[in-house]
Formats: sequence, structure tokens, C-alpha cells
Amino acid sequence: MRAVLAIAKRELGGFFSTPMGWLCLVGFVVISGFFFALMTSEFSVQATQAAFNPYLDDQVSLNEWLIQPFFANTSVILLMISPAISMRLLAEDRRQRSIELLLSSPISSGQIVLGKYLGAMGFVTAMLTTTLPLMGLLYWWGTPDTGVVMSCYAATWLMAASFIAVGLLTSAMTENQIVALILGFGLLLVLWLLTMANTIIDGPVGEVLSGISMLSHLDQLMKGLLHSSDIFYFVSFIAFFLFATTQRVEAYRWR
Amino acid sequence: MINVHQLSKSYGDIRAIEGIDFEVSAGEVVGLLGPNGAGKTTTMRILCGCIGASAGEVTIDGQNVSDAPKWVKAQIGYLPEQPPLYETMVVRDYIEFAATIKGVSDPVAAAQKAILQVGLQADVGGRPAADRIIGHLSKGYKQRVGLAQALVHNPRVLVLDEPTSGLDPAQRKEIRDLLVDLAHSGSRTVILSTHVLTEIEAICDRVVIINNGKVVAQDTIDNLRMSGGRVRLQVERDPDQLIEALSQLETVETTEAQDHGVIIVSTSNDSRALIAEAAAPFGLLSIHQEEGLEEIYLRLTGSPE
Repeated sequence: MRAVLAIAKRELGGFFSTPMGWLCLVGFVVISGFFFALMTSEFSVQATQAAFNPYLDDQVSLNEWLIQPFFANTSVILLMISPAISMRLLAEDRRQRSIELLLSSPISSGQIVLGKYLGAMGFVTAMLTTTLPLMGLLYWWGTPDTGVVMSCYAATWLMAASFIAVGLLTSAMTENQIVALILGFGLLLVLWLLTMANTIIDGPVGEVLSGISMLSHLDQLMKGLLHSSDIFYFVSFIAFFLFATTQRVEAYRWR
Repeated sequence: MINVHQLSKSYGDIRAIEGIDFEVSAGEVVGLLGPNGAGKTTTMRILCGCIGASAGEVTIDGQNVSDAPKWVKAQIGYLPEQPPLYETMVVRDYIEFAATIKGVSDPVAAAQKAILQVGLQADVGGRPAADRIIGHLSKGYKQRVGLAQALVHNPRVLVLDEPTSGLDPAQRKEIRDLLVDLAHSGSRTVILSTHVLTEIEAICDRVVIINNGKVVAQDTIDNLRMSGGRVRLQVERDPDQLIEALSQLETVETTEAQDHGVIIVSTSNDSRALIAEAAAPFGLLSIHQEEGLEEIYLRLTGSPE
């Protein structure tokens, strides 16, 4: 485990010593802050209008009208940024041959993959914590449901963890970071949009494809509904991609 | 100690090495010699467990690399041709990182020891090289950092793939001196590949020459020199008659008469005694092996002179 943590620490440090890492972080802070400002001002207009309308007043909900849409937007931002975070994880090691250090050390391919993954997740977690002050503002202005806020964070974090797992696999498939980025983004987009499969394809095939989609599982979690099936979906999704990445690294040894 | 047996590796249809066989004893310094694409790097990468072999096996103290990869890797320090560096890291952090993933119990102390061993405490631009970012160092210093990561877990075997390639003459000399120190201090076994024959002569006890993925010769440098090739002799009289007499010898391949009774004889193995015996009646003035390591290398690898 010490080797895994050392790889994770090095990887995390690597994000903060490259322009790409800072670009992703600053990009996330600016875009999520922009959306937060936009949605908050829209919400305040709606809340003011609702104050004069007793029927609407009952329906105004900070959780449903602001917090959940904000985290849904954050997930879309992560969908865009995650492939840029994960693209260098293994592709860069292969390109600059530092993979030889890892492969000639007494550690397994699984340890290499897990270390890389945890490092990237450390960065994503740090990125998500930049939204905490925004939530702090909501607590200052109103009374958000802490359960909903926490489940939104959990859902977004699990979502990001899934994105990174997909990106790690595409990063293991090539030495070229741009190819890894495009592959990762394309794959994530397909997995994201599969939710619409049952509207295009009828029958069980459509249902199964829709069930594979991240979006359908994300919705439930965002509402604060912690179904074990959704948790199981994300955990097995991540495990599958980490396993596939490990196999890819093994194949690199044996190709 | 190290036993490479019938090692083969194919990349798709391309056969990189085929039936490589050699042994290295503990404490021995062995040079792998061969032209580009001969299979030296592939052999070294299999030896270090970076890639698997298609056939054959490598054992260290009887332990197979593919059966006990963790144990074997802990015994080996590997410096690839391009040092496996993270350019944005500080040298010391990088070496400590390498020590940790190699299972060293005290990475800080091990890194400091390796830094001293390869001379990374030297001042570079007002600061010790060990405290600088790797990407800001010269190629020679980067090579030292690569050596430090290979040494940090105090391995019994050091595998160095062209450790002086791409360096300028001054850096080359620095690294070569360092390698001589490392190779001959303690009982470390060293396997290194290089194109530079003077390096082989300066550092190695024994040479394994690889060509087209196969071992074409392996011996000590002295034995290789004596293994055959060209003999130059000078006689006082009748060189033409001597040439005729030499042609009768089984080991003589070609003869060439030059001025002043000088004859160049090509032989299939060291036949100086036989040639001297045949030349004695003609007033033998001198006889010596004419080939250097370079000629032997070129002859064995079929490289154009």
C-alpha cells in the first residue's frame, strides 16, 4: 500500500506542477462559479416573484431549484474536464519512458493503476472542495437541506470517479495524450447519452442500454435517494474500468 | 548468479531475439555489445521484468523472473537508455519516490546515500543538483539521477542500457569514471550495453556480442582478441614460399604478401604458434595478432568497415 500511496502522491503533485493541472483547476472554479452566480440570481428572481404568489411560494425549493441543478451542471463540467485530467496519467509515462521505472520496480500492474487513480481522484476531490465556499454562501443566505447537499456531493464525486476510471483506461491505450483525451471524452459522452437509448431503441435492448447510462443513476442520488443499486452501479463501473486498465498495463508488458 | 537460457522475444512478426544464452557470475561486469536493433535492449528489459519473454527464461539465483517478479526486481537496479525521469520533480523527491516504490524501508536515508554515490550533491548554479528540478539539469546530470534511482535500493545486480549514449565527451568521461567506481566497488554484478568499445575495455570483465537477436560470441576481451582474425608476421627471406607453406595449414583462411617480407594471415582461430613454427625456417622477425576489439566486433557482427 505504501507504493500505491507514493504513486498517488507523486501523481497528485504532478497535477500541481504542470500548467494543464492548474488550467483544469482554474477552469473548473471559474465555470462552476459562473454557473452558481447565474443560477443563484435566477433563483432569487423566482423566489421574489413567488413571494407575491401564494401558489408558487409553496413550490419554491432551494434544494430542487438551485442545489440539484447546480450539481447537475457541475457533473457536465466534470464530463468535459475529466478527460483532460486523466489523459496524462499513463500516456505521459509511456511517452517519456518513466513507465520503465514503474515496470522494473517490485510492484504489480494493479498497484500502478490504483496509485495513478487515487492520485487523480485526490486532484478531483481538491477541485470539488472549491465549491464548498459556494455552499457556505447558501447556508448563510438560507437553510439548505444538508442531506441533499451531502448526497449531491457524493453523487458528483462518484460521477467524477467514474469519469476518471474511464479516462485512465484511454490513457493506458496510447502514448499520445491528445488521442487519450479524445477517446476519453468520446467514450464518456456515449455512456452519458445512453440514457436516451430507450427512446430510440424499443424493447429490452433499449432498457439495458439506458440502465448502463450514468445519468439515470445520477438523478436518483442527486435527489438524496441512496439506493444500493445506484451505489453498486458506480462501484462496479469504476472497478470494471480499473480492471480493464490493469489488463492493458499487463498487455504492455507482454505485447 | 544470472542465467539467461534460450531467451526469445517476438513483437508480432518481428523476432527481436532468438535463443539468447549467457551466464553472469556474482560480482562480474559483463558488457552486451551489438549494433542497433541487435536485441540488447530487449534482453535487458526482459531481464529486469519490464517485458515478458516469448520463450526461454531468465533466473537470478535460481529464481525465475516470471515466477517471482517482485523478488527478482528487488535484486535489480535498471537504467534504461532513456532515463525514466519525471522532469517536473525535484531530484531528491524523485529518488525518494523511486526508493519507496522499490520497497526501501527508509527512503530518505537511501536517497541521500544514492545522491552521494552518484555525485548529485555537487553544486549546480548555486544549489546542489539534488535540490534542483530534474528538467532543469544537463543531460549528464539527468543520467546521474537515472543511475541514482537504479542504485537507491542497493541492488545486487545493476543493468545499464547504453549509460553514456547521447552525452558529450566530458559527460561521457564523468559517467564512465562513475561506472568504473560502481562496477569495481563491492560485489555488485553489472550488465551494461554500449556502442563504445573503449568503455567495454575500461569497465567489463567479459563481453557478450549479440547480432540479429543471437549471441555470436561471449568471452573475456583477451580471449576474444586471441580467438582468431588477422596475424601480422615478418620474415627475413622467401615470403612467397612461406605463403605456400601457410596455405597448407587448416586454420589459415587467406594470406596476403606485403613489402619487406610482411605477410598478413587471416585465421579461423588463434594459430600464432603454428604460424610461428612454419615461419621459423624463413627467419621469423616478428609475429602478432593484428585485430583490435573493434575489428573483432565488426567481423562478428558483419557490420561494414
